[in-house]
Amino acid sequence: MAGLSPSERRLQKELMSLMKEPPPGVEVDFDLAEQNLLHWIINMEGAAGTLYEGERFQLQFKFSNKYPFDSPEVTFVGNNIPVHPHIYSNGHICLSILTDDWSPALSVQSVCLSIVSMLSSCKEKQRPPDNAFYVKTCNKNPKKTKWWYHDDSV
Amino acid sequence: MGDESKNSSEEPSQVNQDELILAQQRQIEKEISESIPLVGEMEPISSLNSEYANDEVYLEKIKDLSSKYKHIRRTRPDGNCFFRAYSYAGLERLLDKKDEFNAFYKQAEESKDALVQLGFQQFTVEDFYDIYMEVLKRVGDLTDVDDAKKTLHFLFNEQGYSDYMVVYLRLLTSGQLQKDQDFYSCFIEGDRTVADFCHQEVEPMYKESDHIHIIAACAALNMGVRVVYMDRGNNKSVTEHDFPEGCTPLVHLLYRPGHYDILYP
Repeated sequence: MAGLSPSERRLQKELMSLMKEPPPGVEVDFDLAEQNLLHWIINMEGAAGTLYEGERFQLQFKFSNKYPFDSPEVTFVGNNIPVHPHIYSNGHICLSILTDDWSPALSVQSVCLSIVSMLSSCKEKQRPPDNAFYVKTCNKNPKKTKWWYHDDSV
Repeated sequence: MGDESKNSSEEPSQVNQDELILAQQRQIEKEISESIPLVGEMEPISSLNSEYANDEVYLEKIKDLSSKYKHIRRTRPDGNCFFRAYSYAGLERLLDKKDEFNAFYKQAEESKDALVQLGFQQFTVEDFYDIYMEVLKRVGDLTDVDDAKKTLHFLFNEQGYSDYMVVYLRLLTSGQLQKDQDFYSCFIEGDRTVADFCHQEVEPMYKESDHIHIIAACAALNMGVRVVYMDRGNNKSVTEHDFPEGCTPLVHLLYRPGHYDILYP
């Protein structure tokens, strides 16, 4: 892996590990990530026995060259954005580990697991209460939003 | 796991207030970062006087401090200062004591497996461990102590090494907290678990350190520290606290509200 920057080396390792031992319902688009290590698409299935069973979603990960010191920019993309109280209709996700609580010890895999768990614990499919306003005014990059984290139960 | 969200700007306007706040915050961080080295040069204690020119309370305490310490080495106030100062000062002292350095090195070598056993992901720990060991090896291999100290100072001012050292020490501290969670849980306020606390307050960069971080870091590295507190309190002298209590501290740090620097007797 000569010639790779530290962030690319780390991403390469993560990509291999995600290919070898993907968490259930999570699949990375390997070819796309191979072409550009700083931009991944991950396919995710709604877990059995949850409100999202049978649905398929796409997550986009964008990394800066300061990864893993900088958190990845993670959004849902494609034509099926999960209807969930912490997911805006433009694909932005309100999850503290993506901003304030990010640590270099986290990984693509741990982010995926948190998102799966966030979907799985949902009891009622609905958009965040301020969805319309947020989607109209927010920056394209969710990391530029000043999020307020309230409730850990859903 | 998820978090209920609320976008903070309540009224629609042309300018997004959130972005302005974040931009300003980034600008402040950048200014601090450019003005202060990650780990500075040794300076006399009297260099503190200029920071408190007309402040009798502090000037009195600096006088007391200078009766106990000769020098201070400042660190960048970026929320990582305890971890950076503590590991720098510890390694610097160990370079004078070859046997203790070797024991420390051996203990460090075994630390990665212990973290993985506690449930940390192999590849995330590995990156930081590798750099941590590389720094220990590079300074440990130099026979001339002055050369070794110069190399240590150089590496701790290279962000690519320095921040990796900080992360690894944060992980070791988190590991220690989780290993002894029965003991540490009584120090944590609110209904957070020790693991939650570690994920939110210990592992992320730039989160400031409290007593609980210090106690756990000292236990993880098996290296005592004396923290000398200097604040606006009424007494005329500075107060000292050893972690763990009753130890012979290897490292001496100066604490002023929100920040740690290194002290030299």
